[in-house]
Amino acid sequence: MNSQHVAPGPALTRSTSSIFPPMSNPAVEIQNVWKRYTGHVAVRDLSLTVPRGSVYGLLGPNGAGKTTTIRMMLNIIAPDEGTIRIFGEPHSKAGITDRIGYLPEERGLYRKMQVRRVLRFLAQLKGMSGAEADRRIDHWLERLGLRTSEKDWGIAKVDELSRGMQQKVQFISTLIHDPDLVILDEPFSGLDPINAQALKDIVMELRQRGKSVIFSTHLMDNAERLCDAVCIIARGEKVLDGAVAEVKSRQGDRHVAVVLSNGTPAGVPAILRDRALVARCDDSNRMLEIELAPQASAQELLARLIGAGATIERFELVRPSLHRIFLDRVGATGVEEGMTGHG
Amino acid sequence: MDKLWVITAREYLERVRTRWFLFSTVFGPVFFALLMIVPAIMARRTQASEEVSRIVVFDATGRQLGRRVADGLSVGMIGDTARTRVQELTPDRLAPAESAATREIVRGELTGYLVLDSAALGGRRVRYAGRNASAEADMDLIRRVVRESVMQTRLEMAGVEPDRSASLVRTQLEFDLERITDRGRGGSATVSVRFALIILFTLYMALMLYGQAVLRGVMEEKQTRVAEVVVSSVEPWKLLGGKVIGVGAVGLTQFAVWISSAILLLRYRGQILERLGASAMSFTTPDVTIGMGIVLLLFFVTGYVFYSSLFAAVGAMVSSEQEAQQALMPIILLLVSSFVFFPPILSKPTSGLAHTLSWLPFSAPIVMPLRIAVIPVAGWEVAVSLISVAAGSYIAVWIAARIYRTGMLMYGKRPSMREVARWLRTS
Repeated sequence: MNSQHVAPGPALTRSTSSIFPPMSNPAVEIQNVWKRYTGHVAVRDLSLTVPRGSVYGLLGPNGAGKTTTIRMMLNIIAPDEGTIRIFGEPHSKAGITDRIGYLPEERGLYRKMQVRRVLRFLAQLKGMSGAEADRRIDHWLERLGLRTSEKDWGIAKVDELSRGMQQKVQFISTLIHDPDLVILDEPFSGLDPINAQALKDIVMELRQRGKSVIFSTHLMDNAERLCDAVCIIARGEKVLDGAVAEVKSRQGDRHVAVVLSNGTPAGVPAILRDRALVARCDDSNRMLEIELAPQASAQELLARLIGAGATIERFELVRPSLHRIFLDRVGATGVEEGMTGHG
Repeated sequence: MDKLWVITAREYLERVRTRWFLFSTVFGPVFFALLMIVPAIMARRTQASEEVSRIVVFDATGRQLGRRVADGLSVGMIGDTARTRVQELTPDRLAPAESAATREIVRGELTGYLVLDSAALGGRRVRYAGRNASAEADMDLIRRVVRESVMQTRLEMAGVEPDRSASLVRTQLEFDLERITDRGRGGSATVSVRFALIILFTLYMALMLYGQAVLRGVMEEKQTRVAEVVVSSVEPWKLLGGKVIGVGAVGLTQFAVWISSAILLLRYRGQILERLGASAMSFTTPDVTIGMGIVLLLFFVTGYVFYSSLFAAVGAMVSSEQEAQQALMPIILLLVSSFVFFPPILSKPTSGLAHTLSWLPFSAPIVMPLRIAVIPVAGWEVAVSLISVAAGSYIAVWIAARIYRTGMLMYGKRPSMREVARWLRTS
């Protein structure tokens, strides 16, 4: 789409595979996968590769097919067509799910069960022994502050925990068996800021330890900060994918961030409406994110702004934010009515 | 460790740990014990009242017969020696003494009086007058005690040593009563019908209750979304299978406790009742052979698998309690329809209706045991019936596994029958 590709530096020409050298097999490899339901296609000819040891964002509006894609990776539902490989093996191979930790979008635990017993149960389902599970449960309960000298929440029933604490227990259940691949479906929805930060810390730690993390989200800020690579999908189709830096560079450097210190002088709105100069302007109150028109130059924009009496506090050529790219590429039409359960 | 086992163990342990399980498992034997002991104690109350010893004995025999009778009446829990007065007198004093005693009885100070004279010692007649003269149990006791006392005194008069006479007189004859009916001896029709009804109700209740336990378990996992975490680790059929097996094992545990406590209670009921001072009444237990026990167990297990799979399928399809009630109707109807035909089947266990229902997979687990309990059924018939239920169970499990796999992840609107049919074809 974006043909006037300017290549200012080596960083922008690097491809996904050069950031993550083709060591062994990718964590996840999806090829030409389709999933149809009555009345609509949830996933349409999707192919993507999640490099090992990376944090990978699966981005898209509600109902784009994120949850369906994740469920197919986990072999919870079967694709109609296409293949999925996890660590180079077919995803339906016995035992492969033991290496995956999964946090579903809708979270829940057995309410009447003791926290420790729930965690031991879920760990044993991943093939761990009871004794090993107990040891890790202690570690995690202490790490997340669920077990202190005064109170051990591990022996409480799930019911008795606050929502925030239940979310922590859910994280533990996802990570208890030290999985090589962690899949988080909308992990930040419903989290309080403290748990959100705890989760980000955990994700970064997993990455440092060489684990692969996939998470789906429609919050671009989180994705931009955490992900090494992303795939944007809409209406079940891939819109774009690749390393974050590469995705941004592909959108060109036609973006300017402008901050004016003296408000908006009378002549400025007219300049911003000039389609020969400004293709698009995103006014986020304190900052203007401007995409230059194809033939226009940043110099010209700067000169005209100064000419209109604006006091420039900041004028910077920037890469577009993922948020911007997402809006550009997916647009309002990409946001279908959310279909529960088919995410 | 196999994951099916992990799921089964969780299901079993979490259920066994609940207070409800403890209560119902313990309550069964307690209820059974009460059922056994209370009637016996009630019967004891009607045997003889405490009033029986509050009498005066007029002894005109001059041979201490009155003392002996008083001692006899005071034996046991209800007797009280101090309350029985013995008045030794000459025969000519009897008339005024009797009228004095009558006045006391009218005033309520005394229950009755007993007259022992030469006619008594001669083994001919004894007179008793009192408020309880029409109380059968009281009179039985007095009659027995007087008879034994007279016998013992007469033996002593004939020169038998007192020690020996006592042991000769005290005989505890237990009467074993057995009825002979059209079907020959032993086949007490009331006992086998009662037994059949117990089996019928137990099976019906068990299939209903444990089936619903499976349903609620499946719904809980769906509503709390635990199912999604679990099926990301194991195949859905293992989650379903573990649940069905776990709940079934809970049921069998409960039955094992109930049945073994019932057997123990029946074996030791004599001793237990004696301790409580009540006499054991005759109580005919049905003849249950090991083979019949195994057949009953097989019918319960296969019937349970059949119904609980269907219950599980419903649990996976629906998202709320109300929807579940609606979707359950066909299954409840199957279960109830096999139950409601028990009167005609009991009265005519060889009818066409009885045969048909004992071969259909949904009704056989209830109807066949009912028939087995009342009449001898040919081995091949039992086998055909069992095979039919087993085949039905297999199909039910197959259907449930498919509905389960898709339904567990479907939230919102309840699927139409057409959609469910597609799940069966495609998944």
